[in-house]
Amino acid sequence: MRGKMNSQIIEEYNRRPKRWLYYLLIFIILLAISIWSTSVVHYHGVSEYGALIAKNIFTGIFHPDSSLIFNFTETGLAYLLLQTFAIGILGTLVGAIIAVPLSFLAATNLVPNWLAYLTRFVLMAIRTIPSFIYALLFIPVVGLGSSAGVMALGFESIGMIAKLFIEAIEDLDMGVIEAMDAAGATTFQKIRFGVLPQLLPDLYSILLYRLDMNLRDAAILGLVGAGGIGAPLSFAMSGYKWSSVGAILLGLLVLIIFVELISSRIRKKLAKG
Amino acid sequence: MIKFENVSKVYPNGTKGLTDVNLQIDQGEFVAIIGTSGAGKSTLIRCVNGLNDVTSGRLFVNDTDVSKLKGKDLRKFRRHVGMIFQSYNLVPRVTVLKNVMFARVPDMNLFKVIFGLFSKEDKLVALDSLNKVGILDKAYIRADQLSGGQQQRVSLARALTQESEILLADEPVSALDPVTAKEVMDDFKRINEELNKTILLNIHHVELALEYASRIIAVKKGKIVYDGPSQEVTKEILDEVYRKEA
Amino acid sequence: MYDKIFKPKKIELLTGEVVEEKVSRTWIYWIIIIIIIGLSVLLTNFDFSALSRSGLFLQKLASMLPPNWSYFDKVLPPLLDTIKMSFFASLLGALLAVPFAILAANNIVKNRLVNGIIRFIFMLARTLPTLVLALIATYIFGLGTFAGVVAIFIFTFSFIGKQLFEVIETVDMGPFEAAEALGVSPLKAFFIAVFPQVLPTYLSTALYAFEGNVRYAAILGYVGAGGIGNILNDRVNFRDFASVGMILVSILVTVMIIDSVSALIRKKIA
Repeated sequence: MRGKMNSQIIEEYNRRPKRWLYYLLIFIILLAISIWSTSVVHYHGVSEYGALIAKNIFTGIFHPDSSLIFNFTETGLAYLLLQTFAIGILGTLVGAIIAVPLSFLAATNLVPNWLAYLTRFVLMAIRTIPSFIYALLFIPVVGLGSSAGVMALGFESIGMIAKLFIEAIEDLDMGVIEAMDAAGATTFQKIRFGVLPQLLPDLYSILLYRLDMNLRDAAILGLVGAGGIGAPLSFAMSGYKWSSVGAILLGLLVLIIFVELISSRIRKKLAKG
Repeated sequence: MIKFENVSKVYPNGTKGLTDVNLQIDQGEFVAIIGTSGAGKSTLIRCVNGLNDVTSGRLFVNDTDVSKLKGKDLRKFRRHVGMIFQSYNLVPRVTVLKNVMFARVPDMNLFKVIFGLFSKEDKLVALDSLNKVGILDKAYIRADQLSGGQQQRVSLARALTQESEILLADEPVSALDPVTAKEVMDDFKRINEELNKTILLNIHHVELALEYASRIIAVKKGKIVYDGPSQEVTKEILDEVYRKEA
Repeated sequence: MYDKIFKPKKIELLTGEVVEEKVSRTWIYWIIIIIIIGLSVLLTNFDFSALSRSGLFLQKLASMLPPNWSYFDKVLPPLLDTIKMSFFASLLGALLAVPFAILAANNIVKNRLVNGIIRFIFMLARTLPTLVLALIATYIFGLGTFAGVVAIFIFTFSFIGKQLFEVIETVDMGPFEAAEALGVSPLKAFFIAVFPQVLPTYLSTALYAFEGNVRYAAILGYVGAGGIGNILNDRVNFRDFASVGMILVSILVTVMIIDSVSALIRKKIA
């Protein structure tokens, strides 16, 4: 095999696509952007103070404030967590109520294109506004507390629910509907047995997924004063009450993991049908 | 030369894969292994390059005891044994040439491997292998755009690039139509005759086995029930091998 | 157990076979859901009259337009900061996720203990809300963009890590086995045989994470972790809604650009 190299082979070798220039270019662009973005990192070093705080948070997590945990009244951990959970659920609900009709309006296989694109633009604008802006906007309207949190979460969820639901609508198997037409089904029957069975499982899946994320956001909204566990967390931190911080973090962790486990179980069941 | 000495393989769940196998295969032989599914054909072949380990007995390939090899030594050893799989085992989105050059990877350092920096020599050797199996013109095409027969040829080219003396094949033509299957078997025959490589292949298509191999080994329930020239295989022997147990 | 209380209906087919039709459980699910919603309303003291006051909300929204265009030069630096933060943190998170995902994939690294530990780390990092991480980070590393980078990095790392190892486990192991049969070490075999198969998903996920991170980075400023959230909070406090509008518009435009570029790249990869 060595020695006499077939001229045919050499010819084929020279025919090889020389894409290395293309890859090099991409690499250089990425490198440039990366270097540009590192300017944002000012590492002042972890000050002695900072390290102390890290250590404190750590100890706080392992020695949580039991008075907080076992306090089952309105100021206790359990209540706050449940409230956070409730905000998440209602927020998802509000989001769904608004998002679903809008999604239908944005599906290119159901409405004329101009309407679809207009709706999508509106949806994108809604999606860009961060939840805490919504919270800040709603607080003067509905007052401090959970209601503002629910509305804020609801509006923030619209974006993602709509995006995923639009995909589900556009994936609709029209063939099933056609077949029902051919068999002489009424519009109601077509919707009940043709459209809904395809869309509902997707919708539930989407909502569960969004619920997951909303819980995390619900925790945050408290920071703005919109109820739930965010406010107590912020207070505890600024008050250096590390054991309380630890308790809250643990509780939050447990809640989120718990919901995630259940929701993924349910979603698996949905997927199996 | 391949030598099995009282080789047995028992799977962790208790199933007996091979029982007391004794074999000797010399360099340059073309051997076909036949038998029903699950009889132990695959197990036998995969012991030769260590993909299956041996529970008892010894397996020598050119004086190296394969059953004792582990880790780095096993990998070094495997470079000298080529293997063709039933499902070709090519990486679909990667070009044919790159797939063939996998055979050169053991000699490259990790950095080059990650970025796919093959040398000119790597490419020339790979192109040469592709030429040997007649698909030089497909070198820069994505592997998944080839037909089954062509893909199997690519994996043949890959094995050739290894420059190994032994070629193992696990049901190489089972996924191919009869015409293409013959073409691939012709390739095996050519490689065996022109390059004097030992060919040890599994096949459940008995006619092809008898037509191409000079020696047949029949396996039933992990034991060798026939080992001899293909001309001497009779109908009675085949019935025995393929008979369903009540 | 449910089936014992609500016995399935027995149907006899024409062939004489008896088939059971289980009673639908859907109505129980609905009851459970309604109870949960009801409890939630109680817990939050949700004020339904709020919905009717949305007029006030829309009014506030309207006060953001027309945006204060002249405010743009104050917006640009923190906006660029936000983009830089997201990019750097996403890049780092994406790169570091690869080795850890390899360790977590049970078809490459067959050590269950290692798999378990890494997956646990991923889950931990993913569970804490990014804003909470950012808040903690500001206490440890001080205010400013570094804290934001840390928070986004941790989230991206765990998000991409989880997606990646899940995809790795669904990959066709044939080529990997062939590579092993060639004498290639597992790590190299991973890069030549497995990685090309997961590359589209990996890049797609990384881009998706980057998209989301830009949005997140905008918020992080609220807790002082740098970026545009800072001035956003500022202007809201001052009730300077026209400037708030300007900021939001800039964010919107940025996100739109990034989303379209990202969608283009993702199409090319597929």
